Amino acid sequence: MTRTLYRGLLWLHPPSFRREFSGEMLWIFEETSPDGVAPLFADGVISLLRQWLLRSGPWKLAAALIGGLLEIVAGGLGGAIFMHTRMQARMVGAPLHRISNPAEAIALQNLVPVMMWVSVGTVLMVVATVAWVRGINRKRLDGLARGVRANPARLAQTGR
Amino acid sequence: MSADPISYLPLSPATLHILLSLAAEDRHGYGIMQEVARQSEGQYKLGPGTLYDNLQKLMNQGLVESAPRRSEDDDPRRRYYRLTPFGRAILSAEIARLDTVVREAKLHLRAHSPESAA
Repeated sequence: MTRTLYRGLLWLHPPSFRREFSGEMLWIFEETSPDGVAPLFADGVISLLRQWLLRSGPWKLAAALIGGLLEIVAGGLGGAIFMHTRMQARMVGAPLHRISNPAEAIALQNLVPVMMWVSVGTVLMVVATVAWVRGINRKRLDGLARGVRANPARLAQTGR
Repeated sequence: MSADPISYLPLSPATLHILLSLAAEDRHGYGIMQEVARQSEGQYKLGPGTLYDNLQKLMNQGLVESAPRRSEDDDPRRRYYRLTPFGRAILSAEIARLDTVVREAKLHLRAHSPESAA
């Protein structure tokens, strides 16, 4: 029962980590006496959070997607409110720049928080995308540095 | 990533203990956990999650690498790890740094001990 639970906990880890280490972690779990499994569960939960939040890139992609969705929804709402206001202004025959209609004033008041949400969504999306791209670049540079260290002669041959 | 060992210092306690446990011989994950507990006289216990998170990082940085299995009878899930020459250089640099810290600490503590004041 506890083994199945621990296996489930390992299964929730990011695929790359799971593929590489879950077999060994399960083996360690089996080697541990039944009295000592509680700390392993606590450690497993911390590891799960650490792997997804700190070591894994997809959360950045997810944050960018959420930011993008937020922006689209907020933008759509803003557009709908603006069109509604415009139509009402046409119906009463008032020029667009004059806010004489109370409904129009309320609609414009609603537009301000919507625009704030759009701004927050845009900032969130940009920050997440930049962090994600920087992470990819760092990994690529790390890989290059490892390759150079492993085979410095190759660098000399290529003359770079 | 820099190839200068100094840029990796100071090492975290988990990293230091893992590298130390691999300094003498290649070990599998469970062996590393047991060696860390032995080295610290049971005061520092690594869980598998912390261990493999650190091992993953150390392997990505080129400080630790996989080693061949010792015998065919070993459980196939059991993988061995060893220090790379770069990992050994970083461990040596960290030990030298800690040695300086300990020497400094001893000097300061001796200078301010009640015996020296008297």
